[in-house]
Amino acid sequence: MDLSLTDDQVAILDAIDTLTRPYAGASLHEAGFALPDAQLDRELAEGGFLDIGFDPDLGAVSAALVVERLARLPQTVEAAASALIRPLLGDDLPRPLCMVEEGRTTRPIRFLREGGTVLIVGRSGVSTFTATAEQVRPEPEALFGYPMATLLAVPADRISHAVSVEDILTRWRIALAAEAAGLLAAALDSTVAHVTDRQQFGRPLATFQALRHRLAEAQVRANGVRWLALKAAATLDPGDAALAALHAQESARATVYDFHQFFGAMGVTLEHPLHLWTYRLKALISDLGGRGGQGLAAAEALWK
Amino acid sequence: MDFAWTDQETAFRARLRALLADTLPDDWERFSQHGPASPALTRYAETFCGTLAEQGLLIPHWPVALGGQGLDPWHQTILAEEMWIAGEPRGGQYMNVNWIGPTLIRYGSPDQQARYLPPIGEGKALWCQGFSEPGSGSDLASLRTRAERDGDFYHVTGQKIWTSYAGLADTCFLVCRTSDDRKRGISILLVPMDTPGITVRQIPSLIGEGDIHEVFFDDVTVPVTARLGDEGQAWEIIGYSLTNERLGIPRYALARAALDRAVAVLKEQGGFDSEAVRIEAAHAAALTEAARMASYAIVDRRAKGEAIGAESSSARFATVMAERRVCEFIVEYLPEALADAHPYLKMHHQRGIVAGIAAGAAEIQLNIIATDVLKLPREPR
Repeated sequence: MDLSLTDDQVAILDAIDTLTRPYAGASLHEAGFALPDAQLDRELAEGGFLDIGFDPDLGAVSAALVVERLARLPQTVEAAASALIRPLLGDDLPRPLCMVEEGRTTRPIRFLREGGTVLIVGRSGVSTFTATAEQVRPEPEALFGYPMATLLAVPADRISHAVSVEDILTRWRIALAAEAAGLLAAALDSTVAHVTDRQQFGRPLATFQALRHRLAEAQVRANGVRWLALKAAATLDPGDAALAALHAQESARATVYDFHQFFGAMGVTLEHPLHLWTYRLKALISDLGGRGGQGLAAAEALWK
Repeated sequence: MDFAWTDQETAFRARLRALLADTLPDDWERFSQHGPASPALTRYAETFCGTLAEQGLLIPHWPVALGGQGLDPWHQTILAEEMWIAGEPRGGQYMNVNWIGPTLIRYGSPDQQARYLPPIGEGKALWCQGFSEPGSGSDLASLRTRAERDGDFYHVTGQKIWTSYAGLADTCFLVCRTSDDRKRGISILLVPMDTPGITVRQIPSLIGEGDIHEVFFDDVTVPVTARLGDEGQAWEIIGYSLTNERLGIPRYALARAALDRAVAVLKEQGGFDSEAVRIEAAHAAALTEAARMASYAIVDRRAKGEAIGAESSSARFATVMAERRVCEFIVEYLPEALADAHPYLKMHHQRGIVAGIAAGAAEIQLNIIATDVLKLPREPR
């Protein structure tokens, strides 16, 4: 076992940090619920950062590291599915890649827009189509940290992919966990900075044990989600992936309200960017049947 | 990043499993409920550790010059996992090989090393650690057991409590006060337990017979040559010991093994068809595996000779979360395990209760994470 980043991985993450530095420092005052950024998306795609999973020498672990790092940005970019799931399908599918479960097609879908690729996975297999304007209803008022839209119709004419449903679901779970790991880390960092600065009763909020212990538990969870995501990316094992996604969704559930709580009234304004991470976590909680869905998948994989 | 075991590590684990299968008695699972500190298990551990020593598996991570094979922390972790999963047939001796021996190697005088290291390497020593006192648990530096210097001797008076293995131990790693300076006034004495003036009283416990004691020191005379390191050096020495034992027992491994066993039993009974049960089992497994990976991240640092850092407290707390969830799962869905139907699960449950208490309370781990990992400003004192 060697749990250090390889030289290649260090170089990739450094390059991402360099590319995203102007974005990380952008003014976030009164961002909406979500902060999509077309220019950032374009720069990442052109830089090849979303294609790393296609390179067998770099593989899914490197792709997961990219997803985790990008999720820490306040801006939201469709990276998780592109980096981790697209390598099973081919690089000719137009981005964004929007993941949809068969039987749950009426739910709001992350990044769905005209021209994007919709992937439907379920009992009848794995298929994709390019969304048209008529099939998409944007949901600008949705309470999520992603641009969301509803799919109004699923065309019968779709491209069928000769890839196993289980492989797609495994990578979906890894993508979810890797993204959640970055979101949890960023939300935690943001909360730590706030409680360190904010003074009440003549001392920083961070000096009150009632907050310290809950933030420390959040660190334990964020750390665990990151390691489970990376391990699952390395093994591509369905059980590892289901445990990682389960831990991600459970940890999102356990921490999101605390993070807002510790901001007090500031945590319910759009002035502070905390929601740009936490309201993405909220969206991830419902993927693939939520914790129950992940739990059943993990039990099936671990104990048949 | 590479998450796979090397061939050598895989072979090492297989060798340990084969040895356990060949060596442990047929009724071992029932027998192991006696608890790691019980007279029965302590006697058995002498035989078992002798076998390990013969096979070069008692102290494989010690330096070659001291009878070990210089194996890396990954091998030490595999050894610890396999022994703990098996119910710890080394009894209290696991402590000797993990941190008492390495601490003596670092700080012991030549005489102390010649006296204490060979019996540890042969599997014939049993130590107890005189740390906690009635008024000093998590706040160890407030300890009051006093060692008064009188020429070439100390006179030790005071009381230790919740001391594991004290009833049968031959030597005590005693932390005591030699001056009033809170941390620099603490020293370590290596005290034979048959020294006149020491009285041991067992405290009945939830974790098995013989595990917890009070130890009274009534004007116990200890030669100055029994002091480990310098006077006032205890805080530094304990810090070093903790780098060898900071991760503590790999409880995540037994928790996962117990969970797997409980699931196997439930499946036989048809109780694993329930979705609620399956989901709860998965939650418990997610926590054991999160704790395992958090721990491996620390082992990886040790193996590379890097500082372990405060993240080890994060791994410790993750382990507490995992242990607790597995115990709760079994209580809820397989209560007969706490009677006598499944000795292995009962053994796990007995020991699980101390996960957040022994070797540093879980709340102390959270304090360390808050201050040293998250870098939050300290609480006022």
